[in-house]
Amino acid sequence: MFLYNRVKIERIGVFYMSMKFVLAEKQMNDAILFPEFNLTINESEIVSLCSNVNVREQLLFILLGKTNLSKGKIEFDSEQKLGFYFLREGEYERLTVKESLQFFHRIHQSDQSIEEVLQTVQLESKKNKRIKELSYSEKKRVQLAHILIQNPAIYIMEEPDQNLDIESKKIFINILKMLSSSQKTILILTGQVESALAYSDQIYRLDEKGLHPIQLEVETQNDSNKKTGNEHKDKIVQPIRFEKIPTKVNEKIVLFDPPEIDYIESIEGQTFLHNKGESFPCAFTLNDLEERLLPFGFFRCHRSYIVNLQKVREVITWTRNSYSLVLDDTEKSSIPLSKTKMTDLKGMLGLK
Amino acid sequence: MTFSWKRVNAIFQKDFKDFSRNLAVSIVVFLPLILAAVYGRMGLDTIQAHFMNINMTFAMVGTYVQCCLIAEEKEKNTLRGLMLSPASTLEILGGKSLLSFVLTIVIAFFCAYLSEYRPANIAIIATAIVISSVFFIGLGTLLGLIAKSVMESSVIVLPVIAVFTMGSFVTVWIEKYPVLQIVEYLPNIQLIDLATKVESGAGFGDVISNLAIILIWTVVVYILTVVVYKKRMVD
Repeated sequence: MFLYNRVKIERIGVFYMSMKFVLAEKQMNDAILFPEFNLTINESEIVSLCSNVNVREQLLFILLGKTNLSKGKIEFDSEQKLGFYFLREGEYERLTVKESLQFFHRIHQSDQSIEEVLQTVQLESKKNKRIKELSYSEKKRVQLAHILIQNPAIYIMEEPDQNLDIESKKIFINILKMLSSSQKTILILTGQVESALAYSDQIYRLDEKGLHPIQLEVETQNDSNKKTGNEHKDKIVQPIRFEKIPTKVNEKIVLFDPPEIDYIESIEGQTFLHNKGESFPCAFTLNDLEERLLPFGFFRCHRSYIVNLQKVREVITWTRNSYSLVLDDTEKSSIPLSKTKMTDLKGMLGLK
Repeated sequence: MTFSWKRVNAIFQKDFKDFSRNLAVSIVVFLPLILAAVYGRMGLDTIQAHFMNINMTFAMVGTYVQCCLIAEEKEKNTLRGLMLSPASTLEILGGKSLLSFVLTIVIAFFCAYLSEYRPANIAIIATAIVISSVFFIGLGTLLGLIAKSVMESSVIVLPVIAVFTMGSFVTVWIEKYPVLQIVEYLPNIQLIDLATKVESGAGFGDVISNLAIILIWTVVVYILTVVVYKKRMVD
């Protein structure tokens, strides 16, 4: 049963541009979709909520005012319309990029400069092309331009980087930084922890158990020292032991040769081996695995990732502080690389 | 939220550009024109023939184009973006109706020109044509709200075209089948009736009943549109 009995989205005074979830809870068909949680997103903050598709859709419906929260409320400034960047959005495909932006400019009675926005999304050279002639990523950039023209105080972004090409991702990151420095409030709704890691400073997982912050690494120098120490020890002691990594699939135990593994990921304490686009839960912790796999050219590139360096094809620098590793597997998976590890990696590659 | 002509105008211009590049829909604009030119050359000079063209203009341009404009926004998922913008529903529909209205009037004028129809009293005919086109655009809006895609709208508009353009032939059978008398109250038949009266020198007072019937149709269609709109929006 839906419980719609109060107006749950409350628009508050004009003093600040933050967005607040207060004891927000949603039930659907007698099951809890997400229990009560509090979350405040202040201006200049980029917050990611990682959730499954159901939660994401319901959150969007609630923000759109199509359904209500079962309990609690969402508070934000009444003067401002929310700016939505949907995953699936139509464009007027027969208009040119510029005409489409002009239309949005007029309809929102915006004071943003169309030329500047075109420059920001780097579509200047294509401004007289019809939208249907653009690639998917370019269309998404047109969509991004629309929301920039609208210029809301609060941005709600649904899976913003899904299927984007690398160039567009870079443009997207720059735009996020620009928005954040101009005091905008940004909420990213995504299912992918990796994309959340690349774009935001605060990441939460929202599911039926509630809202949990995902720890961003705060690694100290000691940590990395210890690790290099370990490396030496391992190389010396090199025990002759069974070198396969066991994983569990249903009731079977599957053994992997270390070189087969693309990368290892830890999600909420559970480790997963990734091999040819499939993932297999593994009983060992990341620390154990790191120790066992170091001799095989594996590298702890992030608090929750170990990567097989043999499989790394590219190292992408998004900003000075955020990097990704792109693997040479079938899916071109991209894995976050943390700042402190970047220096380690450079060392290992002999780039220092 | 205040009604803003700027936004209506923005939607009008956007739809005009979009429409003129959408050959699949904009081609229908030429159909009545070609027919009118052929009739004119053939020397068909009856009120029936002239108004068959004009009624076809109403159904093809007024109803079909309006229906497609609305259905395409729904199909392409662009309507949500418009709804989230400051533009109200009235402004969105207003901008679209303005385009269909201008198109209808322009095409109706050229149809009359090409088929060499020179009404005896331009003022009455013009009033009747304006009211009728408002009715047909209302009908298009109604169908556009029901249709989910351009494909669907071209199907559901077929009965409209059939009834409102071919309807004028049915009058011949009324004596044989009295049930068909109801057809006489259709707005297009009323328009023909009105035009015939005008040719025989009638003034505004003589055709007031015809105008009233067309006006009633218009009001009914707009009430229906509002009802359907409210129902659709709740879903």
